[in-house]
Amino acid sequence: MNFPMARPELRKKIVLQGVAVLIVGAVSVFFWNDLKKIAATHIQTASASPISSTLSRLLSDLNLILPISLLAVLFGVACAFYLEEWLSTTSWVRRFIESQVAFLTEIPSLLYGLLAIMILFIYTGVFKEIGTLPPAQNVTAFGLDAVVFQRHPAMFSAEVFIFIFMVMPIAIKTTQEALRSVARPIRESAYVLGANHWQVLTKQVVPLAFPRMLAGGCRAMSRALAAAALLIGIHIPNHTTSPRGIPDRFMLFLGGALLLSTLSSFLIETDDPATARHN
Amino acid sequence: MNYSIETENLSLWYGDFQALIDVSVKIPDGQITSLIGPSGCGKSTLLRCFNRVNERYGNVTTTGTIEILGKNIYDADVSLPELRKSVGMVFQRPNPLPISVYENILFGLRIHSPARSITRTASDQIVEEALKSVFLWEDLKDKLKTRATSLQLEQQQKLCIARLLPLKPKIILMDEPCSALDAKGTLAVEELMEALAGTYTFLIVTHNMAQARRVSKECIYMFLGELIEHRETQALFETPEHPKTADYVQMRYG
Repeated sequence: MNFPMARPELRKKIVLQGVAVLIVGAVSVFFWNDLKKIAATHIQTASASPISSTLSRLLSDLNLILPISLLAVLFGVACAFYLEEWLSTTSWVRRFIESQVAFLTEIPSLLYGLLAIMILFIYTGVFKEIGTLPPAQNVTAFGLDAVVFQRHPAMFSAEVFIFIFMVMPIAIKTTQEALRSVARPIRESAYVLGANHWQVLTKQVVPLAFPRMLAGGCRAMSRALAAAALLIGIHIPNHTTSPRGIPDRFMLFLGGALLLSTLSSFLIETDDPATARHN
Repeated sequence: MNYSIETENLSLWYGDFQALIDVSVKIPDGQITSLIGPSGCGKSTLLRCFNRVNERYGNVTTTGTIEILGKNIYDADVSLPELRKSVGMVFQRPNPLPISVYENILFGLRIHSPARSITRTASDQIVEEALKSVFLWEDLKDKLKTRATSLQLEQQQKLCIARLLPLKPKIILMDEPCSALDAKGTLAVEELMEALAGTYTFLIVTHNMAQARRVSKECIYMFLGELIEHRETQALFETPEHPKTADYVQMRYG
């Protein structure tokens, strides 16, 4: 047996992990108040300090992205299970949802950005309201002077809406593929022993499909993270300090969305060679 | 003679396509019966009617009656888990569950009994008996905790048979059980079937006519959804009555 030989390595690994956890813990306790301040509000430095500005952007975006994309993935997985396991292939509900999912997964993220702009900014009139938001406040974070801007509520809902529409279809599609990857005879092996649908799912299908489902979840999340770039595009009206009328702002907005979505779709496609070939 | 399975004018449609046409067959108790015929002739469909796994995929219509052990399995009071408990099935590719050998054998039993009702000693004994009756105990007694999917194919297929046994089925259906195995594995599975034939009724679908000839006592020839001939294996192969059977068994067709 090679167990005693493996043991020191294991101990080393545990010690290293422990140290890493301690460091992360200490850092987060030390900076807890600053982090909270930064994540809760959208901060832009008054002085030209790129570090604080980037950090605040990152944190406030992560603050939004992680919970929402996690939720979207969970709902997507649940939806895929319902479609694949409970609806028959001939059901029109299933065909309708599947066609919508196929449509949404093929949309480049640029169009999501446009959707956000068209529906949630123009029609809700956010552009006009941005000037009426409460004035900027001065705060101190990481020892730097910063200015806090309020985030418009409609902007928040735009982000949530676009996120769910971006992440969920991919989660649905990949989970469905994972469930289909469990071949019919393998499912039947449990059915012929007298198992019911639930037992087949929990004991046979999910353990086998789990790695693929996880990979699918990661793909959906990575698309979400790549699309975080798009959110910066959505944020642009917040960060142009002296807006000169709507057309200017709109062009700036479009330009940013275009650039960032091109970048993000590049990230998505290089991220998975199989999909890149497929497209 | 007692019959385990009796069908009367059994017809089956997948959507508009009729896969079985008026099949009436009687499968005798306690012996091996083989089903032969070209691909797509409805052998597997017929086999899968007997534990009603066919209808899982919707779009399937069945008429006629199937009596298993004297009970029509399309009666409203038939419980599918109970039916599948008494009619076991083995597939073309070995498909053990992705859990340990030990748990694989107990899987069926655990499904059919209330939680935690099987004691450790009882389960040990059940596993040992099941593995012994498929001649795997010597090979696997030290590997009970390994994942069943990591075994050799032949051992996996034997395990698939072994995991039916704790449920005490009366009938075991086999859908080309040896087509994924090599010659040695095929021989091992055939020997196992012969050893178990007295206790269980075997119905086996095979593309391998030599195998049908070796193991089965009675043989059924099917062609395009119809049952053409059902006789003793020896007679069916040597003096086929129907010209279509003659074409097939003498390799002029298929």
